[in-house]
Amino acid sequence: MSNPAVRPGSEEEWNALMRQLHARSKGQPKPFFYARVHARLTAELTTAGAWLPAWAHRPAYLALLGALMLAVSGDGAALRPPTAATSYDAPAALPH
Amino acid sequence: MAFSLPLISTLAPPSYLSGSAAAGDAELVAHLQQGSEAAFRTLVARYQDRVYTTAFSLLRSAEEAEDVAQEVFVEVYQTVARFRGEASLSTWLYRLATSRALQHRRRLKAKKRFAYFTSLLGFDNQVLHEPPDHAHPLALLEGEQQLRLLLNHIDRLPSQQQVAFTLRHEQELSYEEIAAVLDTTVSAVESLLFRARQTLRRHLQSPSRHV
Repeated sequence: MSNPAVRPGSEEEWNALMRQLHARSKGQPKPFFYARVHARLTAELTTAGAWLPAWAHRPAYLALLGALMLAVSGDGAALRPPTAATSYDAPAALPH
Repeated sequence: MAFSLPLISTLAPPSYLSGSAAAGDAELVAHLQQGSEAAFRTLVARYQDRVYTTAFSLLRSAEEAEDVAQEVFVEVYQTVARFRGEASLSTWLYRLATSRALQHRRRLKAKKRFAYFTSLLGFDNQVLHEPPDHAHPLALLEGEQQLRLLLNHIDRLPSQQQVAFTLRHEQELSYEEIAAVLDTTVSAVESLLFRARQTLRRHLQSPSRHV
């Protein structure tokens, strides 16, 4: 048989449960938390590599940069319209 | 000290150590943006409990909460230069703590699901999934077990409701502060809390039907 006194049906019971929840939520990290944060920050800063800017660590930006490099570095022969190759104008005849 | 920003040494104690919270926080941010390690240490000391308990409320694991709290402070250090003060420092920290904790929980759930499938496929002999809880609601006793039941149902609330409920009942934030953290209106927070309480009370009352 369940005990109806503990059911949070009434405001009082609900409030009591909320107080219990709040009391339970009080906590703190283990001692020397700052030292661990500091160690993590130092590790992240050293592994990140100082020679690359922060945005370069994001793969999406790197991929975009790669695509941009490909787009501007090629000679674009394949993309050139065929007329460019066929419209060869013969040089004017040299004056005699 | 491996911090990238130059450290500032001051002879007099900085005023963010005293004075009102808002003014103190504004000055603390200014010192952080200049790369002061003392300011960072003060920030961590001032907010570590709030950040940790917020993460703990959403994760219910001391190790995970510690991990999230560390992540939050590392992110603060790395991005404080871009902090423009549109929100208060505490709002920003609560926002980071809740979003990081929810991200963490999603990753944990995905990992748990993967472990469950691998255990089903028999890749190893360990039972990695949590066995289902067959305890009948009648078996739940008062006090601690009632609270445990409540915590179980809080974990099943939709994310926004869970964050609002946690910030209200565990961190005791005002409706305005919760609205700022969730970047929404006070009436939206009221609605989130109303729905969360309704769901929780319904679940906690339901065992009486079996009596």
